[in-house]
Amino acid sequence: MTHPEMNELYELYVLGALEPELASEIESHLVDQCEYCGERLQEAAIVTAAMSGMAEQLEPPKHLRERVLASMRPRKQAKSWMYAVGGLAAACVLLLAYALWSMNTSRSLREQIAALTQERNQLRSAVEVLSRPDTRMVQFGNQNAARGRVFVSQNGGVVFAGSQLPQIASDRTFQLWLIPTSGAPRSAGIFRANADGGFVNVVPGPLDLTGIHAVAVSVEPSQGSPAPTTTPILVVSIG
Amino acid sequence: MGGQSETQLVEKLAKCDPDAIAVAYDLYGRIAFSLFVRITRDQSAAEDLVQELFLRLWNRRREFDASRGAVGPWLLSIARNMAIDYVRSAQTRFQSKLKPIDQTNTHRFSYKPKEPEHVMDAAKAIQDALAELKPNQRKVLELAYFEGYSQSEIATRLEEPLGTVKSWMRSALERVRISVKGGAKP
Repeated sequence: MTHPEMNELYELYVLGALEPELASEIESHLVDQCEYCGERLQEAAIVTAAMSGMAEQLEPPKHLRERVLASMRPRKQAKSWMYAVGGLAAACVLLLAYALWSMNTSRSLREQIAALTQERNQLRSAVEVLSRPDTRMVQFGNQNAARGRVFVSQNGGVVFAGSQLPQIASDRTFQLWLIPTSGAPRSAGIFRANADGGFVNVVPGPLDLTGIHAVAVSVEPSQGSPAPTTTPILVVSIG
Repeated sequence: MGGQSETQLVEKLAKCDPDAIAVAYDLYGRIAFSLFVRITRDQSAAEDLVQELFLRLWNRRREFDASRGAVGPWLLSIARNMAIDYVRSAQTRFQSKLKPIDQTNTHRFSYKPKEPEHVMDAAKAIQDALAELKPNQRKVLELAYFEGYSQSEIATRLEEPLGTVKSWMRSALERVRISVKGGAKP
């Protein structure tokens, strides 16, 4: 196809309205870097772009200009700022989480240390009671009820250990009493049993065991009571 | 138009001046919006397409040659393609036939200083020519430009012989060509 024959085709080519075989003719010229076709296509591009004038001219909404410009504004800064805030927020959350975890962990560790210290002290006291020459041992109970041993030392203290104590409400506790032959019972501390009903309660000495003829266990409020508020579930004579 | 010329626009784009898009919008925002509404018949979609159009312009800002001027024809060609793509499925016949103009060298759409200051002048110049087109000439032109139909598809749609459609198209384009190039009375 000659150039004069192609003159009426350039706009149609730019519009995409040419049949494929005719479009291929123009494209073959473009592949060969045909200067004439290049110039004609430039002109055709202007003609076809001018066809946009066929559309009814409408006024864009006023917000559209700002919307377009806003979408072009550098996002890097905004992103940096957002990332910074986001990062800071994330850091704060992590810090808070860490602080809470630390507090909990610290509290947990302190509680564990306190519990271990208490157990250690109890163990020392128990060892001291068991190792003293003046310690007496009383065995109590039977197979179907609470049973165990009471170790009593005037200077060393009392070790009260056993098993098969009954399950009690979580807001209640066991309380050990020293029962004198006359007068009111004296508290020897509160304790809890494990799930199997096993228990150990150590009362550090020295103790004034004058007139004490028995130990007893009652169920009391969780903080203990100055005097028994319930009938003892267990009474062991040590006299 | 905000007193900004196409040449200034190209210079600002070449310098990556952030003000370039404001200039471009003031030059072409209205006609692009009108074109999008005309093709999509959806104002909301048209607004989205306008935004995307100028984003594309900014992303390709380094490709424009300040010595030649190239933005207007390129931008409106892209706008037309975007709008037709929006209306049609990407897998339609149109996709296989329409030249992917936005992937074409932008220099092809540049024009020389002797020609109109920018394509907006040409778009205005075309109004008189269009007013004097016969209805069938205008119809084939609109189907080709706004709908993206080929001549044979237009013939089918209008139920007219292909030769007749080509004749109408040829005469319509000749009138438009004359009005754009020289402002001569058709």
